[in-house]
Amino acid sequence: MRVESIKRPPKPVLSELSMNREQMVQRFGQELGGRTGVLYQAANPQAALRVLSDIIKAEGLKSFVATAQDICGVDIASLGEADGISVSFAKDFTDRETLREAAFKADAGITSADFAVAETGTLGVIFNHNHPRLLSIAPPVHIAIVDVKDLYPVYENVVETVFKNTNEMPSQFSFITGPSATSDIQGVEFKGMHGPKKVFVIMIMS
Amino acid sequence: MHPHANKFMETARKELKNEQSQMFLLMVSLGAPILRQIGMSTFADIAAAEAYSRAIRADVITRLPELLEAFEKNAVSNGAKVLWAKDAAEANHIILDIANQRGVSYVMKGKSMITEEIGLNDHLIKNGVDVFETDLGEVITQNLKLHPFHLVGPAINVPPSEISEAFLKKGIIDEASTDPVKLGGGARKYLRDKFRNLQMGIVGVNMGVAETGTIINVENEGNIRLIKSSPKTLVAIMSLEKVVPNMADAVSMIRMLTRNCTGQKITSYVSMDSGPQKCDEQDGPEELFIIILDNGRSEIYSDLKTREILKCIRCGACLNTCPVYTKIGGYPYGATYCGPIGQTLTPMLAGMENTSDLYRACTLCGMCKQICPAGIDHPSLLLSYRARQIELKNQKGKKTMQSRGENAIAGLIALGMSHGWLWSLGINLTRPLMNSMAKDGYIGNIPMGAQGWFVCRDLRAIPKKTFHETWDDLPSRPESSGNTSKKEDS
Repeated sequence: MRVESIKRPPKPVLSELSMNREQMVQRFGQELGGRTGVLYQAANPQAALRVLSDIIKAEGLKSFVATAQDICGVDIASLGEADGISVSFAKDFTDRETLREAAFKADAGITSADFAVAETGTLGVIFNHNHPRLLSIAPPVHIAIVDVKDLYPVYENVVETVFKNTNEMPSQFSFITGPSATSDIQGVEFKGMHGPKKVFVIMIMS
Repeated sequence: MHPHANKFMETARKELKNEQSQMFLLMVSLGAPILRQIGMSTFADIAAAEAYSRAIRADVITRLPELLEAFEKNAVSNGAKVLWAKDAAEANHIILDIANQRGVSYVMKGKSMITEEIGLNDHLIKNGVDVFETDLGEVITQNLKLHPFHLVGPAINVPPSEISEAFLKKGIIDEASTDPVKLGGGARKYLRDKFRNLQMGIVGVNMGVAETGTIINVENEGNIRLIKSSPKTLVAIMSLEKVVPNMADAVSMIRMLTRNCTGQKITSYVSMDSGPQKCDEQDGPEELFIIILDNGRSEIYSDLKTREILKCIRCGACLNTCPVYTKIGGYPYGATYCGPIGQTLTPMLAGMENTSDLYRACTLCGMCKQICPAGIDHPSLLLSYRARQIELKNQKGKKTMQSRGENAIAGLIALGMSHGWLWSLGINLTRPLMNSMAKDGYIGNIPMGAQGWFVCRDLRAIPKKTFHETWDDLPSRPESSGNTSKKEDS
């Protein structure tokens, strides 16, 4: 016999739902910044590539693993032409061992993000054959590129889409908010416990 | 589980004198509720958010069997292998078997209360499979062989110098340091190769979603995401109450969990797994085992009163606000779970007989109930345990001298309290004897009396006159408003 769901009180109001795009971008950046993540707004993919190069120079990064050669129109492959920088792509790895080796060795992972959630400056990432899980968690720096059209006010907007069809759910979907952190010794917080120490989000505004 | 709850008083006294513990308890009791409040204040309507999360948990325990069946069905159709374990031994056996069949020399574990509850580490290590804890707090408790001091920060009280010593001995760091960042960095470096070469990982589960068969983990350190990404084999173990009806409920509960746990609006990572990797993926587990552990919970569920404990989402908010926990810390509770939730859960898991200090160490102030995002009424549960213990003592053939004495005293007091004249008579008869023991107007102890009662209390000496006698003697009495009991009025 099916036990009926007990009657629920009204769902709590989510004031974020009333935000317009400008407010969402502002909130996203503010929340991400509160977690020491950095949001860059780039007018178009070309501008995003320039931002990416600047981050790479400023952080002194030498090796990357990226989810694809082209992320939201940003030509990641062109980074490899610069001196002393090595870029590899998820599709270069045919097995778990070589992917793990590369992901744990790389200075940074450059990935796409399927969604951005303004509520808490959070990225929503679907992991699949185009997007290995390790690229955003094993390297010490994570750079994510996301299109502003994928920016939503609250988690519900995203979860409804990802889990709508139970036959097509990804093997893993994750919310990522800033770098990894801990406060387990004496309550002293520091970033980069096991995952990235730094997170950069480049949002393409066009 | 190896509860040492019978050493509650002894350990509590020790902890009250431990300066390090006291300093951190002060920090926890002052800081954590403020952080929680700041987090909660980001809700447009705090009361509505609390009411809603409580309703979700009430819903879950109302139809737990149905939700678990749906969870199993959907997890299996996602490709996960779902295994039910009736107790700790069975769960440990299943996990060891999985490890042995795959010939792994070590496993890595995400933070999980449930594996602590079943003593998984000991079982695996005893049988030749090494276990590496990966949550920094648990790396520390594992190496220093400590119980959790707090549900969320199990080693938050441990001085860096002690951590440094243990880490040096284990080779986690090369040189001594009392800098938390250096100690954490050492653990990161030490565990990185192990993550990279990992063959089998074990994680707990924050929520299992019935509608989609999804398991959800909420964390900050990234260790759980690494364990869910790197190895071929993943074992997720959840106690059966972790289920929620659907993804929308899961999202509501995540908002509530993180705010109540650490004051965060969300943790760094929330990972949601629906089955193992798909065939064309390059990482993620090829096989995902989900173990659903009972370990006494069906019995807890079968009792309408105690099933309330199963609402708990392990946020730890009740600890931070408890006037007992914030004085004595986690060690006296002697088991996996400490604070109010430990006091309600451990007696059910370990038996009422050896855990009476746990359900008696409560002032019934009600702060835990007030703050609980799952809607648990801890004080009422603890009162019911006390009553059960007395009922057990009073069962035929189990009566002791002590219980006979207690019953006699309770009977006498009840008789006196229900007859005013008997009460006055009793007071007048016992006054001289009682007051002969008084000093400066207070009675500090009574020979042959309830010794424990006087440990932290005094009794006022009995006044020369009862209230009624004093009233009658008043030269001028206050005007009565209405027809109250002035004798002259009648």
